[in-house]
Amino acid sequence: MSGSTAHRSWLWLVILGSALIIALLFSLWAGTLPMTPGELFAVLSGDASSPTQHAVVWKIRWPRALLAALVGAALGSSGGAFQAVLRNPLADPYILGVSGGAALGAVIALTLGIAAPLLLPMAAFCGALAALALVYWVAQAYRGSPHTLILCGVMVGSLASALLLFLLWLAPADQTRTAIFWLAGNLSSADPQLLGWTGLGAGLAFLSLWSQARKLDLFTQGEEVAADLGLAVGRSRLLIFACAGALTAAAVAIAGLVGFVGLTVPHIVRLLWGPAHRRLLPASALAGAAFLMLADALSRSLFAPAEIPIGVVTALLGAPFFLYLLRRREGNL
Amino acid sequence: MIQVERLAFAYGKTQVLQDINLTVQPGEILSIVGPNGCGKSTLLKLMRGQLPPGQGRILWQGQDIATLNRRALARMAAVVPQSTPVHFPFPVRELVMMGRYARQSGWWGASTTDHQAVERALAVTDTLHLAERPVTQLSGGELQRVLLARALAQDTPLLLLDEATSHLDLDHRLEMADLLVRLNREQGTTVVQISHDLDLAVETSQRILLMNGCGEVVSLGQPHEVLTTEHIRQVFRVEVQVETNPYSGAPRLYSTRSISNWQAPPRIHVICGGGCGGELLRRLHVAGCQLSVGPLNRGDTDLELALALNLEVAKEQPFCPISAQALEESSILCRAADVLIIAPTVWGPGNLSCLELAREALDRQQPVLLIDPRPDRDFSGGPAWNTLQTILDGGGEVAADVEAALERLKRPTPTGNGQPSG
Repeated sequence: MSGSTAHRSWLWLVILGSALIIALLFSLWAGTLPMTPGELFAVLSGDASSPTQHAVVWKIRWPRALLAALVGAALGSSGGAFQAVLRNPLADPYILGVSGGAALGAVIALTLGIAAPLLLPMAAFCGALAALALVYWVAQAYRGSPHTLILCGVMVGSLASALLLFLLWLAPADQTRTAIFWLAGNLSSADPQLLGWTGLGAGLAFLSLWSQARKLDLFTQGEEVAADLGLAVGRSRLLIFACAGALTAAAVAIAGLVGFVGLTVPHIVRLLWGPAHRRLLPASALAGAAFLMLADALSRSLFAPAEIPIGVVTALLGAPFFLYLLRRREGNL
Repeated sequence: MIQVERLAFAYGKTQVLQDINLTVQPGEILSIVGPNGCGKSTLLKLMRGQLPPGQGRILWQGQDIATLNRRALARMAAVVPQSTPVHFPFPVRELVMMGRYARQSGWWGASTTDHQAVERALAVTDTLHLAERPVTQLSGGELQRVLLARALAQDTPLLLLDEATSHLDLDHRLEMADLLVRLNREQGTTVVQISHDLDLAVETSQRILLMNGCGEVVSLGQPHEVLTTEHIRQVFRVEVQVETNPYSGAPRLYSTRSISNWQAPPRIHVICGGGCGGELLRRLHVAGCQLSVGPLNRGDTDLELALALNLEVAKEQPFCPISAQALEESSILCRAADVLIIAPTVWGPGNLSCLELAREALDRQQPVLLIDPRPDRDFSGGPAWNTLQTILDGGGEVAADVEAALERLKRPTPTGNGQPSG
């Protein structure tokens, strides 16, 4: 652990930036329509010989890569925030039941036959915030013990998935298929208008979260110590939950259940960059974006022209890594 | 600086602190001492607004603590916690920088003042060489110094320390004590500390607050007023001699309990009951004595303890008068012992016959030790006290309490044929 921290952080900023660009290029290149790297660069530099390639890259793959980047960034940064506030390496939008709530909201909307492109994600958004509020409210009775909070999250998540399965059981077959596809993660609904508005909301939520970076640092020391250092613990926690919850909800609302990004990415970033949140949050956002763009490219190209749900890919990549991490670090971060 | 007025606190129904009155003077070093679980840490938590008082109130420079926000409190007092588990691998310097939170308004950069405060805090706590190390890789003592550095970086007129020196090596412990005294003298920093190290607390403190196990203040004042033989006996149940440290003039406590002069611990039979023998049995057991007990009724807490300690016991049915059989069993156990001890139990018609064992023992020239025999424990209407009198006349010895009984047992016995000490 020698060498200055500043030097390390610049080095990793370069590495993360490169990873992001490589992931973006890979995401633009990979897919059903085959393309050589040379052809991709020709398209990107504006002198594409084939109008089909031009259209595929700019009209299909580019918005989709942006969507993946947005979802990955939102999940990565919100996961990092949850882990700090709860001082718990297992904290994550999924464990906290936030995603379950979002999924339930979406399926309720589907069951009611609401199919307008903006209303569906909004329903998921409301479900996510409702789940978080419920978890937070129940855990309050135990004076905010991190473990109780996790337990409450798991319970609320189970409740949400039980209700969700019940609704799926009630629903006609075609709608069921839509819902399942939605729940396994889906980045294909890259409607530019939806992406724009959600991106704006997520961006604002991220900036508010980033402005709480030093508070997140204090939270890692435990709430009592944080209070001794001058932090208004209750209020700050509420604000951070709201921001991180909004980020999660945005991601779930537009892409469904994409697991393990919020759990894994902050861990890797912390190992490389240290735990200070003024670096960890943007780094997790960048790493999450790169991670999800790569995962999405894989999901489109591995069994092309068929497409694997993105949630399956991230779980297959993230879960073993997380188990390894958990075993090696024996529960520590 | 801090006024604690008629403070009481309970965790649920467990009363922890009772009627605490305390004024911390600006510029003093005050140590809070007392046995484990007496509420020292709770008091310190209440004093910094981490818990709401059950009764009474706490004022900081005249303002009720309940009306102050955390930032204002953190600018006035810094806390060095007992020990915190660290999970996040912050480099030491960044952890210490957290101490500046209450002084910073922006959220991005730290000012020159912040950096200077951090470097100074690192330097004086001898942690500058650790500055780049992740806190997860520090030893317990190093971590405690880093936590002290964070509190010093907070740059407050008041420091609260909750057993902040418990993990430190002797040199760093003395160094930290010196540091606190220096901060106190040069910058007028007020220090309130909880300490288990009585000697060090005495050396560094202007005043001592002594609490007992019930969360009450036993004594508050200058070290030589507080740390007296009587107070220490009352609170810690330990016999000490108070001398003066020739180098500093501070009082110094010397335990007069001899620990290792017992080469062959005696075999002892104890007559007790109703929970009066608990401490005696435990202390004798720890001291290495072979013990037998009885007769004891089933359900008696003394019996539960005796069984837990795996002692030989003569048992009797619950709530029954002692039977001839239980008495005979006890008599056999008693005869095998070197000494018979009668605990300060309550006497009634049911257990009066137990005193026969003592008379038999004296007839055999076996030493009998009575702990604090008093007529007000006789509920038999006279016979018990009369029998006790005859036992005393017949050569039974009296010990004022368990401590005295142990001391008596360790001395070579002048009477009887038992040879308890080696």
